[in-house]
Amino acid sequence: MIALDAVTYTYPATAQPALREVSLSIPDGQFCAVIGANGAGKSTLCYALSGFIPHFFRGELSGRIRIDDVDTQAVTLAELVQRVGLVFQNPFNQMSGAKFTVREEVAFGLENLGVARAEMQTRIARTLERVGIADLADRSPFALSGGQQQRVAIASMLAMDPRVLVLDEPTSQLDPIGTREVFETIRALIEERGTTVVLAEHKLEWIAAFADRLVVLAHGRIVMDSSPRQVLTAPELERYHIGVPRYVQAARAAREIGLWPADRDLPVTLDEATEGFSSSSSLSSTRLDLRNSRNSGN
Amino acid sequence: MLIYLTGRSGRLHGLNPITKVMLTLVVIVCGFVLPGVWATWLVFGSIVLPLSLWGGIAGPLLRAVARITLPFAISLFVIQGLFFPGGTPILSLGPVSFKAEGLQFALLFASRLFLLSSAFMLLLLTTHPGLLMLALVQRGLPANLAYIIVATLQIVPRFQARAASILDAQRARGLETTGSLVRRLRAIVPLVGPLVLGSLVDVEERAIAIEARGFSLRRPKTSLIDIPDSRAEKGLRRGLIIAPVALIVARLAGWLR
Amino acid sequence: MSFADRLRQDFSTLTLVLIPVAIAINIAIGQLIVSLQIPIYLDSIGTVLVAALAGPWAGLATGALTNLIWGLSGINPAYTPYAIVAAVIGLLAGWFANIGWFKSVVKVAIAGLITGVVAAALSAPITALVYGGVTGTATDVIVGLLQSAGASVFGAAFGQGLVSDPLDKLATFLVAWAIIRALPMRTVARFPRAQNVTA
Repeated sequence: MIALDAVTYTYPATAQPALREVSLSIPDGQFCAVIGANGAGKSTLCYALSGFIPHFFRGELSGRIRIDDVDTQAVTLAELVQRVGLVFQNPFNQMSGAKFTVREEVAFGLENLGVARAEMQTRIARTLERVGIADLADRSPFALSGGQQQRVAIASMLAMDPRVLVLDEPTSQLDPIGTREVFETIRALIEERGTTVVLAEHKLEWIAAFADRLVVLAHGRIVMDSSPRQVLTAPELERYHIGVPRYVQAARAAREIGLWPADRDLPVTLDEATEGFSSSSSLSSTRLDLRNSRNSGN
Repeated sequence: MLIYLTGRSGRLHGLNPITKVMLTLVVIVCGFVLPGVWATWLVFGSIVLPLSLWGGIAGPLLRAVARITLPFAISLFVIQGLFFPGGTPILSLGPVSFKAEGLQFALLFASRLFLLSSAFMLLLLTTHPGLLMLALVQRGLPANLAYIIVATLQIVPRFQARAASILDAQRARGLETTGSLVRRLRAIVPLVGPLVLGSLVDVEERAIAIEARGFSLRRPKTSLIDIPDSRAEKGLRRGLIIAPVALIVARLAGWLR
Repeated sequence: MSFADRLRQDFSTLTLVLIPVAIAINIAIGQLIVSLQIPIYLDSIGTVLVAALAGPWAGLATGALTNLIWGLSGINPAYTPYAIVAAVIGLLAGWFANIGWFKSVVKVAIAGLITGVVAAALSAPITALVYGGVTGTATDVIVGLLQSAGASVFGAAFGQGLVSDPLDKLATFLVAWAIIRALPMRTVARFPRAQNVTA
């Protein structure tokens, strides 16, 4: 379990706090997604959840951050790294540079932890399989695509067996293929065992389909904390400068003019939207009218 | 940037890195402690050359050593040959003449440079830097230092490649890289921004990334890779210490002239 | 703060990550200068950067390692013995930064010139003892001229150094200073000796 209790944090030499009175408690095994406009505090939240705030960044922190009932301010950063893994945006920056092959790169954290060689080999082989990069094991980490590097970064964290994995916009610097690769890896991770996952993201369509919970940050505060359905269909979401998925906007507009089935919830995934629109009887009759008018030569 | 010859399974490649380090040091000490140019070439011919042939790297080694020492050799023979202070002329080229002492000086220094670089090439061509660093760390080299060295070896080629591509892009936009000195100097300016500033800003994230993998943990680190070693090599290393020590003692005692 | 504590603080993880980048800057720009055939070095910009941001000892390490790696990796082995000079450049730059000289462009320039002279003085014996007085480049002509005018091998090497080093280090210090000024404040503030470069 990982929790923030009324956390307010200000970076050094900055006037405004980056997080204000944030309280968030994430139970084991939950997949919690965090969204918000740029500058809302998503990265700061990720750093707080992984112990880098306050240890790496210093600055002013009030409130408590607990990881499995351990107060992060009471222990060193080194003691926290085994419990929480952190993956962030730039895949290249996460390649340590200390190792020449992907296999050794994944081993890097385990070597630092002092894991015995035999166990290291087992864990690495298993992790490479899980993340789907076993075929890259002997390549240089710097000779990979962004998506591949990001998966190596994820594997490097997973090999350390953390209870929680925090990902800060892991696909924002990737092309569509890389994005898909990373999301599939995360999804496999969630489906197979109980790692708690906290994912800060902009790509709402994907989150909507898989997240258990969606938290919205604005100006350093949590302004919404609910299920993806409730958050993404809430009309006030646009106030927080979050790009509401087009199909939600379309469905909402359609509902107002009676083209969305009245008894149906607004869609949160593209599939739901397609289903909803094709099942709408008023929409089918409109289609019929259009076809007829075209045939009559207008 | 790595001059390590991958893909060759030569006999030298399989030796323990420390054995090779010791060989290099022995060659250097012997070559410099024994007096006279002939001694330098004796060490090369009796140790370095046979080993490089045995290891299958003689060709690349000689090419690399030639590339390195040639500019110096030329400068030495020309500059010191012609302008050595207070020398006795033996060959005239119009107003200037080659001096005997100058040529001897040049020969001595060129030979030493040749030996020095060949000794290092023997090590570097056959030893993967990652393995070398690991072996040294296991013998007491600070792990942070090993990290810096390995990271540098991986970052430098990318930097050079990026610098080259930035220059190419600028050239395509009309940047002049030949011609007057000022123009060539100006060619450096567009590099500073993207190459230097960008990489400096990234440093913070890179530090976070390795911290998140336990870089600062104070406990003893283990290693995925096991470095090959054999009893024969261990014995060889113990034996290798004798020759240079004996030579240094002999030199200091004035027995070698 | 004890010396050991100071060292530990200077060599924070951030510094340890900075140093390889600084060495890469040294080597990449240095090699480029060689290929563009410009008769200066400009291979210590990274060293001065580290010295200003993380202290003299980090600067020393950066300088020494630059030459050692540059040399021993096989790119340009000739530079290896000059590791001592590169180390002293880092040390001096760090000390100048500690006394606040990196806060004014004039003082940075003077620091560069002084460092250049020291570098020339230190390089001369190395050039003389290891390379017989020559560097394998076009400036060796100066060596020839000086020796034919009666200078010793060492003296000629020093003369050659005085022609190029002070100017080179002046440019190096100024470029490093300009780079630090161009960096965003939040990046600079994270380094152990940030107070040396912030007004």
